[in-house]
Amino acid sequence: MPRCLQFLILSLAFLSAAYAGDPAGTVTVESNLARKQEPRQQDRIWSGVILATNPSTPPKPIPPELREYEARLKHMFGYSQFEIVGSSTEVIDEENGRWLVPSQRYSLNIKARRAVSKEARGGYLLNLELFQEKRLLVVMLAKVAPGSPLFFRGPECGKGQIIIVLQVLH
Amino acid sequence: MIPFEERFTAWVDGQLKGTDLESFEKELAGQPEVFAEKEAILRLGTFLREHPTAPPLGNADLFNHQLMQRIEAEIPRAKQPISRPVFFWPLRWMALAGGLSLAVAFGLYETVVPPVSEVPGKSNYFAQVVEAWPSDPSISATTVYDSDQNMTVVWLDGLDYVPAAYAQK
Repeated sequence: MPRCLQFLILSLAFLSAAYAGDPAGTVTVESNLARKQEPRQQDRIWSGVILATNPSTPPKPIPPELREYEARLKHMFGYSQFEIVGSSTEVIDEENGRWLVPSQRYSLNIKARRAVSKEARGGYLLNLELFQEKRLLVVMLAKVAPGSPLFFRGPECGKGQIIIVLQVLH
Repeated sequence: MIPFEERFTAWVDGQLKGTDLESFEKELAGQPEVFAEKEAILRLGTFLREHPTAPPLGNADLFNHQLMQRIEAEIPRAKQPISRPVFFWPLRWMALAGGLSLAVAFGLYETVVPPVSEVPGKSNYFAQVVEAWPSDPSISATTVYDSDQNMTVVWLDGLDYVPAAYAQK
């Protein structure tokens, strides 16, 4: 939709709302409490451990979770085949942290809170810790929009590479 | 020759003197009702002089209201001013309010609505590493954002090699 059309629609909506002066639109303590008690849309976070290789045989088709990023993954990492070794999905809990254990070897401890910046588009500010078994590898603060995976280039594995991916699902 | 009415008025008022008075009263000698009328006029004059003020109004507001109603009823309808339609706001004020509303709407639009990517083929990808702290000095974490591919990768170096068999677990 063109931006000018969006602006026109928003302007008309604003004018009609201002003219009508609907008291239902006013924010009160009661409405805030009621909204707080409503069940909030449950965003989830998905993590996967990917094994990237260059097989001698024709590569296996890329898993559907990564299909959108196939060309970019090949370009960025230089591998032709990407297999998901393990994955994990959890509901985001802003009050308590969540553990994601996509494989026995790798796990992530994630504390998420809603990002207010415009470019995050309702995404999250993630305070995450990446573990290799019991060893803490890195602590990180990252802003992630829904549907925008964050990739970690991990250690080499055989003739390939371990890649860890983290994505917010809206 | 002075008319009879004028001489009668002067006679009642006591302004006829001398021969005029005598001749006028001779004329009236056979008309006793004229003398009675003079007496009545003099009594009325005396009464009016003794009660010079108007009696106080019992309800002045009601009197004024009734008087105004009567005056308005007597004014011809054609002379009443033509009533015009009344607007809540003048047109100039409405235009000003509309302009201000548009300005506020534009401000909200710019601040609240996220911009749509205008580059064809680019998605709304956004993943940003604010900070990364490796737990071990032997590990380095480098954030790479490829603008061409529109993708963020954290490059972890210094990690232990993983045997190929481990990935199959």
